[in-house]
Amino acid sequence: MKTVIDSGKGKRLLQLKPLFEYRELTMMLAFRDFKVRYAHTWLGVLWAFVQPISTLLIFVFVFHRVAGISSGSIPYPVYTMAGVSAWSFFAFVLSQSGQSIISSQQLVTKVYFPRLIIPISKALVGFIDFGIALLILFALMLFYKVTPSSNIVFLPLIVLMLLILSFAVGIWFSALTIRFRDVQYIIPFMVQIGLYITPVGYPSGSIPKKYILLYHANPMVGIVEGFRWCLFGDPLNATYFIISVAVILLLLITGIIYFTAVEGSIADIV
Amino acid sequence: MKEPAIVVEHISKRYKIGKARSNDLRGTIDNVFRSLLRGNKKENVDFWALRDINFKIEAGEAVGIVGRNGAGKSTLLKVLSRITVPTSGRAIINGHVASLLEVGTGFHAELTGRENIFMNGSILGMKRVEIRKKFDEIVAFSGIEKFIDTPVKHYSSGMYVRLAFAVAAHLEPEILIVDEVLAVGDIEFQKKCLGKMEEVGRDGRTILFVSHNMEAVMRLCTKGILLNNGTVYLQGTSREIVDNYFKLNEDLIRTTKIFDRTDRIGNGKSKFVNAWITNAKGQVVYQIHSGETVQFHVEIEAQQPNLNGQYTVAVAIYDNRGNRLFVLSSGLLNKKITVNNKTEVIFTVPKFPLASDEYFCNLIMFEGPRGTDTIDQIESAFKITVEDGDYFGTGIIQAKGADRLFTDFTINTRET
Repeated sequence: MKTVIDSGKGKRLLQLKPLFEYRELTMMLAFRDFKVRYAHTWLGVLWAFVQPISTLLIFVFVFHRVAGISSGSIPYPVYTMAGVSAWSFFAFVLSQSGQSIISSQQLVTKVYFPRLIIPISKALVGFIDFGIALLILFALMLFYKVTPSSNIVFLPLIVLMLLILSFAVGIWFSALTIRFRDVQYIIPFMVQIGLYITPVGYPSGSIPKKYILLYHANPMVGIVEGFRWCLFGDPLNATYFIISVAVILLLLITGIIYFTAVEGSIADIV
Repeated sequence: MKEPAIVVEHISKRYKIGKARSNDLRGTIDNVFRSLLRGNKKENVDFWALRDINFKIEAGEAVGIVGRNGAGKSTLLKVLSRITVPTSGRAIINGHVASLLEVGTGFHAELTGRENIFMNGSILGMKRVEIRKKFDEIVAFSGIEKFIDTPVKHYSSGMYVRLAFAVAAHLEPEILIVDEVLAVGDIEFQKKCLGKMEEVGRDGRTILFVSHNMEAVMRLCTKGILLNNGTVYLQGTSREIVDNYFKLNEDLIRTTKIFDRTDRIGNGKSKFVNAWITNAKGQVVYQIHSGETVQFHVEIEAQQPNLNGQYTVAVAIYDNRGNRLFVLSSGLLNKKITVNNKTEVIFTVPKFPLASDEYFCNLIMFEGPRGTDTIDQIESAFKITVEDGDYFGTGIIQAKGADRLFTDFTINTRET
């Protein structure tokens, strides 16, 4: 094995081989986070069920009962759970990755590994929660007797989009937080605002026509709509969907560029 | 011929230190405006931790890296361990590297011993199957079989270190980079570490070893590299390196007053500004005699107004091989030193116990319950020369070089 160490100027942007070589460490970090998260809680892993269910109940009460928002032919809880599952995953990765590298200071200053595996391991932990949220969603579909649309075969693609987006935003924020500690205080606002500008608890059709293009600049809109298209056969506007895909790719590419630029000096800054 | 294990070519590393804040938004915005207004782009002061470092290490060599604080040892290790990137130059490493900059990296208090073995092992670059294969051996080496499924937060610090070291000891890299992990733990543990490293060396693996303990460097390493001010000062046998290390220390002591010393570690809330020795008559002396009453005077200056620091202050005395002989520490007398503005601390040794030779003194000042926060520390702050003296007041002076220290004793006889 031959390793060349240099200033890293002009190095290839995304080096997949080291990421693959360190896959076991990535899994270990994710395992550690998952295990430690619910340690000493009375409900333990049940918390992973409590969170999405309570979010859903709030939506049902506030948006459906009080504000009277309707979701057409699909029962509101099922319709909203589709949004909640995707949104919760995104919000989790966003809020976790912000501090991820700073809180791994102990590791980062003592040992080498591709720094990208820190935000990746956070996304993996979120993926477990996401699986649980999907379980709840399918249980609700059974309960309300909602037959999935045949588009469901495309669901893995939409999930992949969600993963890529969360990862892209995750690396952006983990890298930004290293340089600008302030960013970690902005993230909670973003999560809060993001929830309202994403069609989690309401159909995106209720957005005024003149804002619709701007609205779709939020890539989570395309993903949540994609989810509903897969599950319930909701209409999906191709143009708007492509905007979301383009934004996701843009975030991913710029995120990798920015992360690579700061990666070498992470240990000097934290 | 085998390829060299490590080739370092023109490695330099620059840190930016100083005024410009760039790790928060306001600092960055301020900087942008300031540079726009003044056209002044350079607010940062460059500090070169390493400057044009070149060396080659053959496979199977054990090389000690030696140097004063701030000479660039840690930075070099960080660069070779790929924790930080060099500013320029490059290094080529042939072989699988494991670097031990600390024991127990990645240990988590909530995880069990078993889980931590896997965690720490993967962090150090072991594969899962490899860890599983050596698992029993690791547990046996650590000697904590009974507690292997207990979260490590319930471990004593000794158990914790033993487990951590057991994992590290079972690494099988071709190249081992070791920082002063040996400085932690008790004597027994340090011996175990040294023994294990000697074993590794005999296996024909390449070792890069950084230490302040010259005795350990001489024992483990055949060759050495002496760093000074971020450059390679000398490459040679470990003997030459150790000798020159002390020569450098002496030069520094001779040329630089304590006040002007920059090779300090610590947060700098207070600083050592002067130190001197007086004899029983209160005269300042540079040579002392065995058995004399000696006073060590250490002057400390607070660097912040009204600091009111409560510190533990110590003078540690080393022989010229880097072995610590004894320490005069306020902590041993359960005393805290209050530092306001300028404070002089006086340590009185009624009968100086060392035999004639040259010794080096480190100055150490820390606070916090476990001495976790170093305020200021200077290695080899000053040198003392001890001359033969009449320790026992009998007029008999020990012949030069026979013993290293004296102690009071009495003799009685009784008929049996």
